[in-house]
Amino acid sequence: MIALAAAQLHERRRSLLAWGLPIGLWSAFVVAIYPSVEDALAKAVASYPEALKQAFGIAELASVEQYLNAEMLSLIVPLAVGYLAVRSVASGLSGAAESGRLDVLLSAPVSRRRLVAAGFAAAAVELAAVLALGLLICLLGSVLAGSGLSFAGALAGYANVWPLALLFAAFGVLVTAWSLRTPIVTGSVAGLLVAMYVADLVGRLDTNLDWVRYGSVFRYYGRAIEEGIDPLAFAGLTAVAALVAALGAILFDRRDLAS
Amino acid sequence: MAAIETEGLTKFYGAARGIEDVTLTVEPGEVFGFLGPNGAGKTTTIRTLLDLLHPSRGSARIFGLDSRRDSVAIRARLGNLPGDFGYGKHSTGREALTLLARLRGLDGLGRGEQLARRFRAELDRPLGRLSRGNRQKVGLILAVFHRPELLILDEPTSGLDPLMQEEFLALVREERERGCAVFLSSHELDEVERVCDRVGIIRGGGLIAVERIADLLEKTTQHRRVEVEFVEPVALDAVRSMPGVSGAEYVHPTLEQVFLTYYEEEGEER
Repeated sequence: MIALAAAQLHERRRSLLAWGLPIGLWSAFVVAIYPSVEDALAKAVASYPEALKQAFGIAELASVEQYLNAEMLSLIVPLAVGYLAVRSVASGLSGAAESGRLDVLLSAPVSRRRLVAAGFAAAAVELAAVLALGLLICLLGSVLAGSGLSFAGALAGYANVWPLALLFAAFGVLVTAWSLRTPIVTGSVAGLLVAMYVADLVGRLDTNLDWVRYGSVFRYYGRAIEEGIDPLAFAGLTAVAALVAALGAILFDRRDLAS
Repeated sequence: MAAIETEGLTKFYGAARGIEDVTLTVEPGEVFGFLGPNGAGKTTTIRTLLDLLHPSRGSARIFGLDSRRDSVAIRARLGNLPGDFGYGKHSTGREALTLLARLRGLDGLGRGEQLARRFRAELDRPLGRLSRGNRQKVGLILAVFHRPELLILDEPTSGLDPLMQEEFLALVREERERGCAVFLSSHELDEVERVCDRVGIIRGGGLIAVERIADLLEKTTQHRRVEVEFVEPVALDAVRSMPGVSGAEYVHPTLEQVFLTYYEEEGEER
């Protein structure tokens, strides 16, 4: 399984820079400009409607951590890395089926479940690497601009994206049990990602609709950069992702792989 | 023990028939040609043998093992070249070979390097930058580098130049000599005639003939054509005994002609 996962990571090595670099640079820019916009932000935020502040987790922007959370970690990073997650598993399964690679790999003594597990593991490592690179560049930006970003806070904030994204990788595995067409896999899971984000947002904007948040994994995402990682949510999301991926592997094993 | 043994192997795609009641046996050290036009069921048969497709009914046993339940153990002993081989644009042949060697538990690349020299394959260029023929060479090497006991080849010479086709046929003969069974699906009837011991002909998802090549050609004497200019077909003896005829010979049909007769019959049925 390690050989298969390593091969997939090698095949997707470009994604580390293609995704980690923009996320890192954008984050670095956000923390770097914070000292110069801090006062203006405080005045602007004070004028925002309460519901809006509540919805986007910007009750106040009194620290660089809160600003980074509002600008990057509450929306852009989880959506981007969630999308990357499904792209990663799709590349290892539906993409491999489209390129013919799957037929070659399944000519070797490898079970389909092992193949799926390797693809899921490779996606997990890829996501961690992209988030780590993003964090590293962000911290570098903070040091260079003297923004005073807390290392522990930033680490928690970026690490907290990982189980959330992993769950969408698992949904990607599940969809490949039904379709091996990459646009269908990525499109359906990306749609689910956005739908869950919107459901969580709507639930926070309107307390009467709070129940819709139960249908969204974003309910369990929190604000780790400010409040630290919730170990229960982190472990719970990771476990659910593993279970969904396992279910996907079982269903993938049962399906036909037509040419 | 047979290398391949299928019994009533059937695969339906929903209501559409892929193959139906395919029963055949391929022995170790035998080269078995599998003939049929596009859509006849050749690839469906191969994919069912490889457990990529699950049979609707019937069974396939490879080395005596169940193709579905024991597929991993079976694949440890076979090599497969899929039709229209591909592996991804960015990977090189060497990367693919290295991964497959590891998955097969080999320390090195087996005889991969030697085969690459023999077929003049470019192992270090990304596969996306290779021509179809050069990609096919890499696929062929991936199929045989580990000295499998069974080779399943789907249109193996597709894209290969005539020189490499000859080299391929030589390789198939060598594999047969060392006891490897070869299941060769091909449109190239000439190469099938030259290298195969037996052929199976599939039409509309059903296996309509399994014969030794020599027997297949021999039994079709009724189709022999006499190259004399008569108004109607005439028996050779009658031709020879005819006054004024100095000689007459049967023209032995090629395998291609025999093969096509099965499809001419199909056209007549319609």
